[in-house]
Amino acid sequence: MTTVWILYRQRLRRDRWQLLSWVLSIAVLAWFAVEAITKTFGDEASRAQVLQLATATPAILVLRGLARGPAQDAFTFFEIYAFLALLAGFMNTFMAVRHTRAEEESGRAELVTATAAGRWAPLSATVLHGLVANIVLSAAVALGFMGGGLNPAGSVVAGLATGAVGLAFLGVGLLASEFFSTSRAANGISSALLMVAYLLRGFGDATGHVSPDGMTMTAAWPSWFSPIGWGQQTFAFTGDRLWPLLLAMGLAAACVAVVVLIMARRDVGASVLAGRSGRADARSWLRGPFALALRLQEGAIIGWCAGGFATGLITGSLGSAIQSTFTNNASVTAALRQMVQAQGTSMTQLLIAALFEVGGVLAAACGVQAVLRLRQEEAAGTAELVLSEPLGRVRWIGSFMGLGAVSVVLVMAFTALGAWLSLVASGDTSSAVGDVWATALAQLPAALIYLALPAVVFVIWPRATIPLGWALLGVGVVLGIYGGMLGLDRKIVDLSPFTHTPVVTGGGTDWSGGFWMLGIAAALAALTLAAVPRREVGNA
Amino acid sequence: MGTVIQTTDLHKSFGQVKALDGLDLEVRQGEIHGFLGPNGAGKSTTLRILLGLARASSGGASVLGKDPWADAVELHRRVASVPGDVSIWPNLSGGEAIDLISRLRGGDVNGAYRQRKQHLCELFDFDPTKKGRAYSKGNRQKVALIAALVTPAELYLLDEPTSGLDPLMEAVFTREIHRLSREDGATVLLSSHILSEVEQLADRVSIIRSGRIVDGGTLDSLRHLTRTEISFAQDSVDTSALAALDQVHDLTVTEGRIKFGADSDRVHEVLPLLGSLGVKGLLVAPPSLEELFLRHYGDQVAPAPGEPTHDGAPHRRRHRTVAKTGA
Repeated sequence: MTTVWILYRQRLRRDRWQLLSWVLSIAVLAWFAVEAITKTFGDEASRAQVLQLATATPAILVLRGLARGPAQDAFTFFEIYAFLALLAGFMNTFMAVRHTRAEEESGRAELVTATAAGRWAPLSATVLHGLVANIVLSAAVALGFMGGGLNPAGSVVAGLATGAVGLAFLGVGLLASEFFSTSRAANGISSALLMVAYLLRGFGDATGHVSPDGMTMTAAWPSWFSPIGWGQQTFAFTGDRLWPLLLAMGLAAACVAVVVLIMARRDVGASVLAGRSGRADARSWLRGPFALALRLQEGAIIGWCAGGFATGLITGSLGSAIQSTFTNNASVTAALRQMVQAQGTSMTQLLIAALFEVGGVLAAACGVQAVLRLRQEEAAGTAELVLSEPLGRVRWIGSFMGLGAVSVVLVMAFTALGAWLSLVASGDTSSAVGDVWATALAQLPAALIYLALPAVVFVIWPRATIPLGWALLGVGVVLGIYGGMLGLDRKIVDLSPFTHTPVVTGGGTDWSGGFWMLGIAAALAALTLAAVPRREVGNA
Repeated sequence: MGTVIQTTDLHKSFGQVKALDGLDLEVRQGEIHGFLGPNGAGKSTTLRILLGLARASSGGASVLGKDPWADAVELHRRVASVPGDVSIWPNLSGGEAIDLISRLRGGDVNGAYRQRKQHLCELFDFDPTKKGRAYSKGNRQKVALIAALVTPAELYLLDEPTSGLDPLMEAVFTREIHRLSREDGATVLLSSHILSEVEQLADRVSIIRSGRIVDGGTLDSLRHLTRTEISFAQDSVDTSALAALDQVHDLTVTEGRIKFGADSDRVHEVLPLLGSLGVKGLLVAPPSLEELFLRHYGDQVAPAPGEPTHDGAPHRRRHRTVAKTGA
């Protein structure tokens, strides 16, 4: 038991900042949601209107949840819970893989297993660590909702529903770690399962049965195959029932049981599915730093593009659904207008612009990741292999940035393609169809800034590249996309590149923000490349 | 014979820590130069500067007549290297990594290349189809070694190239380096703390400690610093005359054998006496660099640079300069 305790404390120590920021972000988001909804949809009438729109629009239900009436607390749960649960899922799958498969992959697990800790103490410590983390998460989310002024009992149920989903995905992450030989694969497959869970419940909600007044609904069967769906079935604030969470606990327990069965039979470091072997010779295109950057990131780029395509499909179907079912609603239009910081455009255009910002964020994240790969190469030592060859540092960094730019463009292209396909399929012939390409183009400058900004950091302050890269993106997203909704000062909101993304409105589009940002991105990139020749290669 | 590598008063500091402290290194064309020193002496820092991966704080370095920092790209076409701590891409196979590095160096990845690659893979008993993450330390080392050897170069900068290799593979490596040196006339700078490998390979050695060269020369010229171990059966031999010689040190009797160390460059002066004593079972062990090392560093184990001393201040280490005698 003492070894479990020691390993538990080691996990706590290792994760203290990471878990703290996960838990705080999720809880603050819950509180944020209450605040934002109070500000935008303060009275029940406007909430009822939004609910009627939502229940009539499957695409909105996919992104939101299960409508349970226009009361403020139930409405908040409808709006934000699925997203909270999704984040809790990510927090847990990453945590599970980090302490199991990643440890085995790095060889550290051998070090620990060879001590008195043996094979079981590390697993027990990880499970304990996950249990405690999800209890804390539940409490934090409950406090977040309560802090916004929602009903305490319902807040606790909502908190527990978040923590239970987290626990279920802790199990999924642990199980994935048994099957795959690399932490990358284990993380990838558990993230994919999490997205499937999110979409399954989205599908179940979208095809659910809506009450005649359009205010409440019951989910269809697919929701019952998703842990996030189980969390929604608690009917927090309206029904406050806890039994659906037993399903999530059961899933977690079942996963751990299978993990134990597998671990009892396998070697330390082995996995159910063995790692594939590779090619003896490189393909002929694998020459030069650009090809290397592509070879290293092809999987990730495909993933980002798929995300962009899905976002586009949802945007397109939402846009067309709105056009067919919805006539002017002042409060919704106002909310969207605050989101995209624009005036005087049609509802559909606004909505496409707002949702394309999600695509823009995906593209920016893809850009950030491309540059962070440089730092990963340097820290791992593989950069040294490459730079000991006749290849200038400028060309090396330039190639990775170049690939980043290409992938940013690809992500937006797939977003536009998805939107265009779904709009065309729905028979929409409005100008919005043509606008999707221009709207996608408009997202590029902000995304390119997120390619150039981390590159500057990489050259002048290498060690900070990874945390600062993601943090800059996070701040930009919060300020640019939620800043207006939260009523933040215009000057602060203007700090975010996303604020300056041009809003496409047919002929009268103001592109100046885009050109400015392109100029800034180019200047930052030039600064990076100019500073490179003075920079050493190292892992400090 | 030209000079291939020349550093003069090379300094490199990382903050307060001086990794190199006035390093003067000279490597001549066509030689295999052993670069010896304990961990943290500054071997890898030197090699990284010679590769243009790090920049000297002060002092000069030239490689093949060029500035390694400014002319890195041009130089790397003519230089092959093995880094001190080899890491490879986890999702690329070993074969892919070797091909990529060779192509980056501008090597033609044609039929002859493929043959050489396959030949080296067989020599080193290396499976190129495994993914990078699946290789052991020794196999990662082989990736770097094969990549360095597969495309001919004028200069090889090898940073502890045999770490992680088993003795059999070390022998293969030694043979390949000898071949490079003899057949291609390549120059090799080989850093190591594995003395036997340098002893087998090197024409000349430089010994680095605390960021500066403390000794250097041919192996022969360094012999004065070492002692040859001589032993023979006890057999009621009277050793008093032997013990009186000032070339003889640390005479002991253990397990029925008499053992002593003699100054390596004066062994011949001891032999007549041994002959007249009629000793049996005589063994003369040649001096090893191991012993040379012990005499340089034997009295204390220096901490690695950057390692703070008990008072927290960076440790400013001083080495003991070995007084040169004879030769």
